[in-house]
Amino acid sequence: MEAGTLARPVPHHEAAAHVTKPRTGILKWLLTTDHKLIGVMYIWLSFFFFSVAGIFAMVMRAQLMAPGLHILHPEIYNQIMSLHGTFMVFFFTIPIMAGIANYVVPIQIGARDMAFPRVNAVSFWMLIPAGTFMLVSLFLKGGSAAAGWTSYPPLTDRQFSPGAGMDFWILGLHLAGASSILGGINFVVTILNLRAPGMRLFKMPMFCWNVLITQLIVVFATPVLAGALTMLLTDRMFGTGFFHPPAGGDPVLYQHLFWFYSHPAVYIMVLPGMGMVSQILPAFSGKHLFGYKGMVLATAGIGIIGYMVWGHHMFATGIDFRLRQFFSFASMVIAVPTGIKIWSWLATIWGGSLRFKTPMLFAVGFIALFIIGGITGVWLALVPFDVQVHDTYFVVAHLHYVLFGGSLMSIMAGIYYWFPKISGKLYNEFWGKVHFWLTFIGMNLTFMPMHMMGMLGMPRRIYTYRPEFAIWNHIASFGAAVLLVGMTIFVLNMLLHLWRGKPAPKDPWDHSDETRTLEWTVTSPPPPENFHTLPAIR
Amino acid sequence: MTLGNRWRLLTLGLVLAAAALWTAPAGAWLFDAVTPVAHEVRNLFWKAVGITAFFFILAEGILLVAVLKFRAKPGRAPAKWHENLRLELVWTAIPALAMVILSGPAFSTMKYMETIPKSDVQIEVVGHQWFWEYRYPKYGVVFANEPLVLPVGKTIAANVTSIDVIHSWFVPPFGIKMDANPGRINHVWFQVEKVGKYEGQCAELCGVLHGQMFITVNVVTSEEFDRWIEQKKKGV
Repeated sequence: MEAGTLARPVPHHEAAAHVTKPRTGILKWLLTTDHKLIGVMYIWLSFFFFSVAGIFAMVMRAQLMAPGLHILHPEIYNQIMSLHGTFMVFFFTIPIMAGIANYVVPIQIGARDMAFPRVNAVSFWMLIPAGTFMLVSLFLKGGSAAAGWTSYPPLTDRQFSPGAGMDFWILGLHLAGASSILGGINFVVTILNLRAPGMRLFKMPMFCWNVLITQLIVVFATPVLAGALTMLLTDRMFGTGFFHPPAGGDPVLYQHLFWFYSHPAVYIMVLPGMGMVSQILPAFSGKHLFGYKGMVLATAGIGIIGYMVWGHHMFATGIDFRLRQFFSFASMVIAVPTGIKIWSWLATIWGGSLRFKTPMLFAVGFIALFIIGGITGVWLALVPFDVQVHDTYFVVAHLHYVLFGGSLMSIMAGIYYWFPKISGKLYNEFWGKVHFWLTFIGMNLTFMPMHMMGMLGMPRRIYTYRPEFAIWNHIASFGAAVLLVGMTIFVLNMLLHLWRGKPAPKDPWDHSDETRTLEWTVTSPPPPENFHTLPAIR
Repeated sequence: MTLGNRWRLLTLGLVLAAAALWTAPAGAWLFDAVTPVAHEVRNLFWKAVGITAFFFILAEGILLVAVLKFRAKPGRAPAKWHENLRLELVWTAIPALAMVILSGPAFSTMKYMETIPKSDVQIEVVGHQWFWEYRYPKYGVVFANEPLVLPVGKTIAANVTSIDVIHSWFVPPFGIKMDANPGRINHVWFQVEKVGKYEGQCAELCGVLHGQMFITVNVVTSEEFDRWIEQKKKGV
């Protein structure tokens, strides 16, 4: 590919008009189409839902602190457990990745804004009614949805979940999905069309590649979830029988459709974080990312194979032997591109000159924890072992090593890394490091024992348990308390320094020339439209 | 001792503590196995641990060494290399090979679990919100919300289904978990080696009292089983 053949000049779009007469106060936020302001709003909103879902997690750990407690009524426990998963997946991890990407990607590719700034604003604002539907449903008669974040029928049929909470959940998720699809199209078009002259695809920072592949997954997978939710809704509302056996339907069909989206969704939640780590490790090692092309291929490989493994969530449903064999092997194969990424990160820091600022600590912590999640993932791909621990706390442990150890650690790395750029302020390094150590230790204390609970046979999604699981639950609840202390320190550190932090220079991390991406060449925060002149790409 | 050394020691201590948490109480956290299938699952588990432990130790080890060894020091510049095709091919090929090797025992264990032998006792397991109904079609015995009673050493075949929502029949020491889907019948088999009382519970979220949907299986000698089934037939 010749330089510049794909890169087109940055078009003048409607956002330009807004810049000439800057709005102030609340209108500046309500009416903005600026990708940076929208990105910041995404991040705030996501952290709001993170707090809600985090508090739910703490309440659950309180209930499960010892066997036979009655802190929560089982009905309330099921609601809180369901909303914890729903919020963490659909209203924290996915949107915060979109938020950070919204802020960073246009700058990294040398664009002034996203390709469709108004659509971008629509994607963000749709999340507010979506999340409100979910939250409000807690206070309805009958409470919120209580069938887990997976909401399998027939439990979600009108007969077994008569309350309106289930309908609110479906509509909320529908809106969040539509927001995702719009955002996905916007990212793909932006990255393919708005790169500055000279920014060839294979010159893009790794984060942009990961966002591109993630958003392609979003665009192709999310409509299937929308289909499944619509079928669920018509089953509930209009008496269709897609998932209703007496009418000739099959509840297992829902599981196929749900996981056809929700397994790729795991990669939607973790690939952007891997992209951030792929930026942060070189930045604090003073070394180029190792094996850039291999990394791009591995990411694409994960994106493609990620569509062929959904059945590994259904090994205990009784689906055909040959299908299970296929899904089992495909799930093992996905360890290979994932491995390529891990080895390449290790080779990146090997021989570097490592500076352990907070983002670097979180990035290294990410690798350490993600390896564990990856390895238990291989075990779970083995059908007989999966059947033994399926729907037990072992799976809860595995998924939290992937989504907490993977996604959340990388999100934290990214937030600390770009905080000075976004806010124009410096945070306190010491408290950042305290936050890291409390998170790393608390995370292992909380989730490592869950492997043992699951091996012993403690099912997930139960509000109380048999006494033989007590010891591991004590440790997990203690770990959760450690995490809470860490997160409180994080919030205070960030809020305090947003308010009165020292001003941040253009490049507070002193990147070497090989590792400095475009956002570190402009002021902190960057000016409206990001660049006064077209950036030069070497 | 310098501050740097102390940090190193602390890191090392943490890693060792984590490793200890994994391995020290071995057996205390591993499920019991009392059926041939469960033994096979345990064997497969140890094979998987063996193969993946190599990669786990290698990756975490490299990470730990790199973190300790390549801390920024004045006067040392970072290396310049960032590509090595041969290395990349090796770390693609070896894990791929390991996965192919691991799939062998995984598939044969799976085949073993799936192939239902000629059974001595046939039962039907039906999930309800929130209890289990058991049927012995040959004896005309049906009951619910009581422990299942089975003879030791005999091959049991079970048809698993549900009449309302999805449940999952899960007895950890048997190596068995099978979803009870309304409108479908799933099949499992097992052969319990030891007389005893075994506990399990529903493993698929099935509503408010999902956490209270227990399973108890009393495995008794054949004579005791015959006596029990005769009593049941009389409706005692």
